[in-house]
Amino acid sequence: MALTHMWIHSTSVLSKCLKPHVAPCLLWGFHFADYCSSSLQKSVTLSGKAPSQGKTEENLQGHHQREVALDIMSPEEKPEISFDKAIIDEIKDHFRRLKVDIVNHWIGPEGRPLHEVLLEQAKVVWQFRGKEDLDKWMVTSDKTIGGRSEVFLKMGKNNQSALLYGTLSSEPPQDGENSSSGYCAMISRIPRGPFERKRSFDWSQFNTLYLRVRGDGRPWMVNIKEDTDLIQKKNQMYSYFLFTRGGPYWQEVKIPFSKFFFSNQGRIRDVQSQLLLDKISSIGFTLADKVDGPFFLEIDFIGVFNDPAHVEEFAYENSPELNPRLFK
Amino acid sequence: MNPILALFIYFMLTMGTIMVLISSHWLLIWVGFEMNLMAMIPIMMIKQNSRSTESAIKYFLVQTTASIMLMMSVSINLMLTGQWTVTCTNNMLSSIITISMLMKLGAAPFHMWLPEVAQGLPLNSSMILLTWQKIAPMSILYSFFPSLNIYIMFISALLSIALGGWGGLNQTQLRKMMAFSSIAHMGWMMAILCYNPNIMIINLIIYLMMTVTLFYIFKNNSTTNIANLSLIWNKSPLMALLLALILLSLGGLPPLTGFLPKWMVAQELINNDNTIMALIMLMLALINLFFYLRLIYSTSLTMFPSMNNVKLNWQYTKSNKYPLTIIILSVISILMLPLSPMFINLY
Repeated sequence: MALTHMWIHSTSVLSKCLKPHVAPCLLWGFHFADYCSSSLQKSVTLSGKAPSQGKTEENLQGHHQREVALDIMSPEEKPEISFDKAIIDEIKDHFRRLKVDIVNHWIGPEGRPLHEVLLEQAKVVWQFRGKEDLDKWMVTSDKTIGGRSEVFLKMGKNNQSALLYGTLSSEPPQDGENSSSGYCAMISRIPRGPFERKRSFDWSQFNTLYLRVRGDGRPWMVNIKEDTDLIQKKNQMYSYFLFTRGGPYWQEVKIPFSKFFFSNQGRIRDVQSQLLLDKISSIGFTLADKVDGPFFLEIDFIGVFNDPAHVEEFAYENSPELNPRLFK
Repeated sequence: MNPILALFIYFMLTMGTIMVLISSHWLLIWVGFEMNLMAMIPIMMIKQNSRSTESAIKYFLVQTTASIMLMMSVSINLMLTGQWTVTCTNNMLSSIITISMLMKLGAAPFHMWLPEVAQGLPLNSSMILLTWQKIAPMSILYSFFPSLNIYIMFISALLSIALGGWGGLNQTQLRKMMAFSSIAHMGWMMAILCYNPNIMIINLIIYLMMTVTLFYIFKNNSTTNIANLSLIWNKSPLMALLLALILLSLGGLPPLTGFLPKWMVAQELINNDNTIMALIMLMLALINLFFYLRLIYSTSLTMFPSMNNVKLNWQYTKSNKYPLTIIILSVISILMLPLSPMFINLY
């Protein structure tokens, strides 16, 4: 009863917030809706404890129904929405990041002294300890082409991991174009600098990818994309398999970068090349094993390290110069 | 690559530059530039990966744009003067030709493509890009230096030295670092071109020697980043010492060869009442020296942690793939300062 009351109030507050601003939102695009919701969030942190108690009760009983955290605020609070202030704040934020960038340039690569960067043997690149870590990722499924798979991403128990879960459905969409379907993916967002400039990771000192995951026995694919300066490169990626074991124990997967194979537009190419590690843009996990049903993958962290015992440069050498034995 | 094909392509690369050097007809100069470009593209793509293709595409687009500008100004010059000889009396046209050559060289403010393209290439192709490909545009600038716009040259020089130093500060990739070093050295050459182009030639030759030496050391160890280069103390300590000396020479410290061009450029600028320019250039060159010194610190002055616990790795394979080449080039890059009276007599 109390829950239903809170839910009705929340929707009415949201409708009050959004209604007068629907027309400008539609005109200017969804970007401005972000300011609307973010200012909602800000005023919630100032309000009292009553909404948070209601939220906890909701979480205990109905968490699988609602994955986006609705910050419920009390009806007396009126959210402050000012587009001009928001634009000015964003511009100031970008200039602040530019200043930090310039100062970091003096200090050294990645904002740390050079000897620190050179001596690094292992690095945790992505870890999941809070909601802000989930913002660095996006999930996609074949719903974009009209399929029926569903995928969600949320924080796991005790905020120590992320849980990617959903249902895979390989029923193809009835649009006459696609004969097969059924994929779900989680892709990291491209790191951005000031003024939304694309940045990339430099992993040239490391040679192995380290993942701490807990799956359900399904075979996943790890995809790494290089920096997409040219538009044709957005279809190119380097992939390798990730076989999960299922079960209660965590799985520590080490994939050397020399094992990744090249594919363009979804097709593995004959002319293979080594994954060059100096400009890595994003990493992704894809499930497309043609088995319908629910799935989950729990990820603790994703890191890179230098395995000194691994000396292989590239596992697939199929050109006459590199592997003349094959072409005799 | 097929050896006959490789021979043909390298021959075409050489002939393209030589055609630019010896021609006095603008059309043949343009033909030489295009031959050079066409031969450079397969050299860049010798390793078939998407990064090399990306570099080749970027290089092609930049060079073609510069060639378009060159041909446009040559055509307008033909329309105005009725001749194809390599002179340009019109100020605007000579400015456009200057900008076109700056674009081909990778001098600021048209330098953004050079680090990216150099980074995407294998070491051999990167070396050719940063050395041989500078000769043809420099020869054009040398041939009509009286008509050069001095303001464009000075602005380009200062920007190149500043941006070459600034950009190279944080690089851990060696090819990008060499590209930024190339940008800075082009700046020094631009600065002196209007006053005394012979000093520019001396500067170019010494820069080419030092860059080729460095690239041969990188090729010897097959290293492309500082972390790998820092381990040469374990494999060949003499190479670490040589690397330190060559980097100091590139930074322009006496008594090494690299001091000679900087000394001559600064002296000529001061003789022409341009002390401020010389002062600013020398101060900005310190940024370059800083990142060379940082590289020396991690490679030669400190023993970077390595996997084995001995001072010299057991030499299973030959540690020096290019013994004679590295020795000859190192001697030229380090020990030629006493020959400076010979260079002074040249101009």
